Amino acid sequence: MIPLQYYLLLAGMLFAIGAYGIMTLSNGIRLLMCVELMLNAANINLVAFSTHINDASGQVFALFSIALAAAEAAVGFAIILMVYRLRAEIDIENINLLRW
Amino acid sequence: MDPNLTTIDFRLYAHWIVLLPMIGFLLELLIGKYWWRKGGMFATLSIFGSMIISYGCLYNIYVQGMPFYEYSWEWFYPGIVAGFTIDPLSLAMLCMVSFVSFFIHFYAIGYMAHDCAKSVYFAETALFTGSMFGLVLANNLLQLFIFWEMVGVCSYLLIGFWWHRPEAAAAGKKAWMSCSVGDCLFLLGIAIMYTLMVGIDGVTEPISFNQIFQNLEHLHHAAPIFGMSALTFICILFMCGVLGKSAGFPLHVWIPDAMEGPTTVSALIHAATMVTAGVYLIARAFPIFLAAPNALMIVAFMGAFTALYASTLGLVVNDLKRIFAYSTISQLGYMIAILGCGAVLGVAAVAFALFHLVAHAFFKALLFLSSGSVLHGTSNTRDIKEMGGLLKGMPWTGYAMLAGALALVAFPFTAGYFSKDKIIEEAYIYATAHGALGYLPWIFLVLGVILTATYTFRAWYLAMTGGPKSHLAVHPHECDWWMRTTLVVLSVFALGLGLLTADWSEGFFKGLFKGGASFWHFLEQTFVTETQTASGVVYPGLNMGDIAHFGGNHLHVLEPGVVHHISPAVIYLPLLLMIAGLAIATSLYYKNRVDVSKYIKKDNPLYQILWNKYYLDYLFKDIIAEKIVMTVFTFWDVLDRYVIDGVVNLLSWITISAGQVGRKLQTGVVQNYATAVIFGVSMLMILVIIIRGG
Repeated sequence: MIPLQYYLLLAGMLFAIGAYGIMTLSNGIRLLMCVELMLNAANINLVAFSTHINDASGQVFALFSIALAAAEAAVGFAIILMVYRLRAEIDIENINLLRW
Repeated sequence: MDPNLTTIDFRLYAHWIVLLPMIGFLLELLIGKYWWRKGGMFATLSIFGSMIISYGCLYNIYVQGMPFYEYSWEWFYPGIVAGFTIDPLSLAMLCMVSFVSFFIHFYAIGYMAHDCAKSVYFAETALFTGSMFGLVLANNLLQLFIFWEMVGVCSYLLIGFWWHRPEAAAAGKKAWMSCSVGDCLFLLGIAIMYTLMVGIDGVTEPISFNQIFQNLEHLHHAAPIFGMSALTFICILFMCGVLGKSAGFPLHVWIPDAMEGPTTVSALIHAATMVTAGVYLIARAFPIFLAAPNALMIVAFMGAFTALYASTLGLVVNDLKRIFAYSTISQLGYMIAILGCGAVLGVAAVAFALFHLVAHAFFKALLFLSSGSVLHGTSNTRDIKEMGGLLKGMPWTGYAMLAGALALVAFPFTAGYFSKDKIIEEAYIYATAHGALGYLPWIFLVLGVILTATYTFRAWYLAMTGGPKSHLAVHPHECDWWMRTTLVVLSVFALGLGLLTADWSEGFFKGLFKGGASFWHFLEQTFVTETQTASGVVYPGLNMGDIAHFGGNHLHVLEPGVVHHISPAVIYLPLLLMIAGLAIATSLYYKNRVDVSKYIKKDNPLYQILWNKYYLDYLFKDIIAEKIVMTVFTFWDVLDRYVIDGVVNLLSWITISAGQVGRKLQTGVVQNYATAVIFGVSMLMILVIIIRGG
C-alpha cells in the first residue's frame, strides 16, 4: 500500500509544473496542456483521498472532473483553432484586441 | 302625450347624454368636412340627441315622480368608480347646458359659415359639450375632475382657435395656466378626501358624493390639518379649483383675455356653461361645505367680493365682449355668494344659485351672441367707441341685446329680476343671522347692482344709439336667419324664464304637466330626498340640520306657509338701485348730460386704477412671473448648473480618472492574470496556515 503522502507529493509536483507553465509559457496549446496538468493533479488528490477514507464518491467526482476537463479542452482548442485561422499565430501575448 | 313615450325610462339611457356628443366629436373630426356645409351637422345633431334624453329624464323625475337615480360602475381599482347621478341638481344643469349648447351650435352654423376650419371648430365644441355633460352627471369626485380638466382643455383649444393671431394663442395659454393653479389644489383636495374616506368602515366608493355625504359625521371627527378641521381644509382646496374655473377674485384674470376666441365660444364656454362648473361643484358638494366649519363663510365673502370687484372693472373697458366678460365674473360672484349664504339657508341656497345660473346662461349667451352678431356685421370691431347707431342697421341684434341687458340688470319681470333680486333678498337673511360682519356680502351684492346697470347700458347705448363713431359702423349688415332664430329663442327665455319660479307658477305648471313643483321647490329636493342606485343600494335623504350642526351652522328652516318678514325697503332696494344705475347710464351715454371724456385721462388716479384692472395683471405678469419667478429661476439655474451639475460632474470625473489609471492593470496577457491568481491564492493559503497554525 503506497502511503497517501506519495500521492499528494505527485499531485503537488504536477500542479506546480502546470502552474509554472501557465505563468511562463505563451503558446496557447501549451497553456491548455498546463491547465490539464493542474486538473489532473486535482483528480489524483480526489482519488487518493477517496481510497484513504474508503469512500468511492471521491472517485465518482474524479470521473466527472475528467469529463469536464474534456469539454473544457474541446472549447479551448476550438477557440485557439479559430484564432489561428484569423491571425496565423497562437501566441496569446499578441491577442489583446479587447484591451484598453 | 303619446302613451309609448311616457313609459320610457330615460334614466337608463343617461350615459348616451355623454356618449352622443363624443361620437359627434369623432364624426365631425374625421368626416365632418366632407358633409353638409363642410361641418356642423354631426355636432349639432348629437347635442340635439343629448337634449332629448336630458328632457326625457326631467320628464321622468319632474312629472312622473320617479326616484332619483344613481348608476356606478367599478372602473379600474376597488372603489374608483365611473357613474352618473340623476337628481334635480344635475337635471337643471343638463337641461340648461343641452338647450343653450344646441342653440349656440345652431347659431354657429351661420356665424362660422366662412371659417375654413369649421369642422374642427364643431368637433371641439361637441367634445366640450360632451365633457360638460360628463362633469354634470358625475357621481364621484374623480370623474368630475377628469371632465373638469377636459372642459379646460377644450376651453384652451377654442380660445386659441384662431391661433395665427398671437393674442389668441397667448390668451389660451393664460386661461390654461390660471385654471391649472386652482386645479392642482382641487386635485389635492380630492386626494385628501380619498385618504380620509378609505379609513371609514362600510365605505365602498371613497370619493362618490353620496357615500361622502353619508359619512360626514366620521369625516367631521377626522384629525385636523394645519390646525383647521380636515373638512374645512378640503373645502378651501375645492374653493381654489372653483376660483380658477369660475373666475373667482384672484384667478379671474384669464376670462377677459379669453374673449379672443370666436364669440360663440365665449357664449358657450365663458358665459353659459364651463365657467359655471365651479358653481356647480360647490352646489354638488354642498353638504360637505355645510359640514365644514367656516367654509361657507369663505365662499360667501369671496363670491360677494368678486361680484363687486368685477363690476367696477366693467365700467371702463371699451371692448364690447370684455364688458360682458366682466359681467360674467360678477354674476358668477353672485351665485357663489348665495351658495355661501347656504350656511343659514340650507339647501334652498343651492336652488337660488342654480336658478341664477340657468337664467344667467340664457341672458349672457344672448348678450354674447348678439355682440357676436355686431362683430359679424361691422368687420370685427369690438371697440364700443367705434360703434354707435347700430340699432337702425341691425334691429334684430339690437333688440336681442336689449333683452339680454334688461335681464342682466334685473329689470322687473325679466329672468334676472326673479333670480338676482331673490339672491340679494336671501343674502339679507344671511346678514341678519350673522351680525355686523355678515352684512358685508349683502352690501357688496347690492352695490354691484347699480354698477351692473351702469356698465351694461353704457355698452348698449354707446353701441346701439347715437350716430356712427367710425366708418365701420356706417353700414352694418344684419345677421342671417340661423343667428336670428337663436337670438329670438334666447330673448324669449331671457325675458320669460322667471315664469319657472314666480309663486303662481306652481299652479301654472300643475295645469301644464299634471304635477311637479316650481324650479326652486324642485331643486330643494336635492340631497334631502333618497337616491336609488342601479345596484339596489338606497342612499337615504340627508338631514341638513344635523349636517349644518357639524359645521357649527344653524339653518333658518322656514316652516311651509311661514313668511319671513323682511322690510319692503330691503326687498325693493336692488330695484331702486338698478333704476338709479340705469338713470346714470342714460344721462351720461344717451343724453350726454356730462362730458365723460373729461374724466378719462391719464392723471385721473381712479380711472388709472380701473383701466389697469387694479394692477392685478401687472402683479401676476410683471412682478410674480417676471421678477419673482424669473429671479427664483435664475437662482435655481445657477444652483442647478454649478452646484448640482458640479457634484455630478465631479463624481464622474473621479470615476473616469480612476479608470484611466486602474485599467493599466489589465494587461491583456493571460500569464499575468494567472500569476496574479496563483499569487493571491498562495497568499490566502499562507494566511490560513498562519491563523490556524497560530
